[in-house]
Amino acid sequence: MLTAAGLVKHYGGVAALDAAGITVERGEVHALVGENGAGKSTLVKIISGAVRPDEGTVELDGRTVAFANTRRAAEQGIAIVSQELMTFGDLTVLENLYPLGGPRRFGLVSAREMRRRAEPVLADLGLNVDPSARVETLSLADRQLLEISRALLQNPRVLILDEPTSALPRAAADRLAKTTRRLADRGLAVLYISHFLEEVMRIAQRVTILRDGRTVLVGEEISQVSVDSMVSAMLGGTAPPAAARRERAVRGAASVALTGISVPGRLRDVSLTAAGGEVVGLAGLQGAGHLAVLDAVCGRTRPATGSVRLPGGAVPRSARQAVAAGVAYVSGDRKGRGLMLDQPLWENVTAVRRLGLGRDGPLPSRRHMVDRTADLIRRLRIRGGPYDLTTQLSGGNQQKAVLAKWLDADPSVFVLDDPTRGVDIGARAEMHEIVRDLANGGKVVLIASTDLTELVDLCDRVLVFQRGRITEEIDGPELSEQALSRAMNAGFAASL
Amino acid sequence: MPAALTDSAGDQRTGDPAGRPLYRRLVRDEFGVIAVLVVIVVGVGLFHPDFLRTGNLLSITHNTVYVGLMAGGIVFPLAMREVDLSVGGMYALCMVVGAVLIRDGLGTWITLPAMLALAALLGALNGVVTTYMRLPSFIVTLATAMLFRGAGLALADGKQITDLPQNDSFFTFLGGNSGGVPTAVWFFVVLIAALTVMFTRTRFGARVRAIGSNPEAAEFSGLPVARTRIAALSLSGLMAGAAAVFSLAFFMAGDPTVGQGYELTAIAGAIIGGTPLAGGRGSVVGAAVGCLILSVVASALAFFQVPINWTTFATGGVILVAVGADTLLRRFRNPRSAGA
Ligand SMILES: Nc1ncnc2c1ncn2[C@@H]1O[C@H](COP(=O)(O)OP(=O)(O)OP(=O)(O)O)[C@@H](O)[C@H]1O
Ligand SMILES: [Mg+2]
Repeated sequence: MLTAAGLVKHYGGVAALDAAGITVERGEVHALVGENGAGKSTLVKIISGAVRPDEGTVELDGRTVAFANTRRAAEQGIAIVSQELMTFGDLTVLENLYPLGGPRRFGLVSAREMRRRAEPVLADLGLNVDPSARVETLSLADRQLLEISRALLQNPRVLILDEPTSALPRAAADRLAKTTRRLADRGLAVLYISHFLEEVMRIAQRVTILRDGRTVLVGEEISQVSVDSMVSAMLGGTAPPAAARRERAVRGAASVALTGISVPGRLRDVSLTAAGGEVVGLAGLQGAGHLAVLDAVCGRTRPATGSVRLPGGAVPRSARQAVAAGVAYVSGDRKGRGLMLDQPLWENVTAVRRLGLGRDGPLPSRRHMVDRTADLIRRLRIRGGPYDLTTQLSGGNQQKAVLAKWLDADPSVFVLDDPTRGVDIGARAEMHEIVRDLANGGKVVLIASTDLTELVDLCDRVLVFQRGRITEEIDGPELSEQALSRAMNAGFAASL
Repeated sequence: MPAALTDSAGDQRTGDPAGRPLYRRLVRDEFGVIAVLVVIVVGVGLFHPDFLRTGNLLSITHNTVYVGLMAGGIVFPLAMREVDLSVGGMYALCMVVGAVLIRDGLGTWITLPAMLALAALLGALNGVVTTYMRLPSFIVTLATAMLFRGAGLALADGKQITDLPQNDSFFTFLGGNSGGVPTAVWFFVVLIAALTVMFTRTRFGARVRAIGSNPEAAEFSGLPVARTRIAALSLSGLMAGAAAVFSLAFFMAGDPTVGQGYELTAIAGAIIGGTPLAGGRGSVVGAAVGCLILSVVASALAFFQVPINWTTFATGGVILVAVGADTLLRRFRNPRSAGA
């Protein structure tokens, strides 16, 4: 019912799309995959009217359409959840659900009606938040679910999801998969972008693959492909070999130690030590307290009792002090906490060292900054140049830029919070390699991730949190997704 | 060019560091306002050749120095999503204090740094209150604007302070001409250039822009947000102090009622010059040129014998047209980023 064909889109000299197309039928979940910067987001932005193509057509039910903006597309039943979150932080959950005003009674917006309609959708996706809460207080995962709810409330005929699960924990992703399937069964056409290829295998019926702006696989049945064959189609070559497990490095002298810290409502009497040379994972369900540990190390929350010691004995009382003491915070919330999207890449990549630590002096040389940025662009294989505005990079490449800006500052402690959100499978392996190298070089690495395979892949040991306490520690050999999942949920099933 | 489409698409841009150096973009950004200024000046000159007389142009520039300096300073708070409404009051207070000190026998060349120090201090006070009481700078400076002006009025007893030593070099030099051009104009040019370097090239300027661009990311990156805010508001105050110095030197009197509404003119000039209130960007040169545009229009109206009472109305129109044209131009040049 939805067909895009022959799409071409150039930005300056760069072709984001060059002869790309896709056909999505009623009742199917159609996956769109490809490397970072392959053009996936550009393609769906064209379909939803956010971007105009240089060439090519979009047909809906056999009629050629060219929406002037996303609102026009929405009126025709096309709803999109875009990759970058578009929530309004100052507004409430309810207000965010109805950006166009919502149901009215007597000409006025009816909050009661809004609630009534929203409740089943929120429950379906498992979004348990107060509808009158301000959105900026929500976690990244909840904001992601909020956006999906907003799209569903439009009662679309075509639903476009651009990396909807990049920030979602497994349970929420599973619920979303179920909802998506059910909607497709009801006759919706779903276009689904994801870098999680296993997930694609589970929920899609067909897959289209983009490489460098071109369609290299068109609407293939999912039964005809495998993760490996998709990867080689995406890369145009063979998949990179799985990285060997890292030998746990000799522990360096540097270490992060938390002793008996409590944060009201978040942590109760938690102690842990992470030494230089090891990668320590922190896992838990939402609100379990593992993220509060990251906040404490980064100086974002000051514990009511107990102490946090950084290498060199510093005690982080503010984000600034933590950074000064050598703590890096690589966040998956690249738009909120990570990047200045309206500034050139080089301003972002050199921001911590130049502006946070002030190590480049009061008159930093621009040429020098650009050179350093170019080095990191090469090292992380970021698609983009030092002078490009950061907002022009694709999502995965922006995420690499977040890591780049911390690597530039050469800190001694890396706090990673969904560090590879939205990064493609190959680039993710490369980023993991870099993290391993950091640990091998004696850095302390603390990592939380909504993606458990990331923890399994990287960690020497994982501390599992429940209700503000460490309830289990899983060590290298026993580490697996199942083990983590069981430990995170242990006790909950029984108490229901 | 499909040949360049392999994965070198990115490297292509990377390998081209000369691609778009920032100074080019800066010049291009300010090109618009400068062109508008030139077009207006020449346009008026076509009808009234007298308008183009050096004397007239210099006197317009001279009249713009005070508000222009404030506009140059105010770019810093604006670029970090703060605002300073107190510069008009600060300007009057500093002028009165300077006049009182000189009248009471303090040396003029000691009074000058005292005035500047007072202004910087009052600006810093704005910043400290904003930071530690966690109030928006809009509210804080709205209040201090009245405090400052009120203090000036009280100190001067509501009257002008005259009887100053008019033959002192302070008045003859800073208030006079050098090489046929008002000394204040020379200083104006130098100070605007210095502020531009500060804004675009220094760590402090970059911090200001970074905080304005994404305050949360700035905090997480370890930037000294509080200190930078205090410094930016202090700098804005300092520029009001500098304006007071030149004003005192020229008028040879301390008047507690001067500079009413200058803060809004300065902000308008900055916005016309390409400093959006959304933060993250700004232009000191643009702000100065924006103020010049406002002065030129006001003066042109006089040449066209438009009744003086319509000047304010026209100024409002100019602001709307200038800001609107800028937005339209941006949307035209870059349809995606300006939309939605
Ligand atoms: N507004 C823009 N200006 C310039 N270049 C752009 C712009 N938007 C996208 N691009 C470029 O187009 C290419 C494709 O980007 P797109 O966002 O579609 O990739 P993607 O497949 O969604 O990647 P990801 O998996 O990282 O989200 C990238 O090289 C990107 O830098
Ligand atoms: Mg994308």
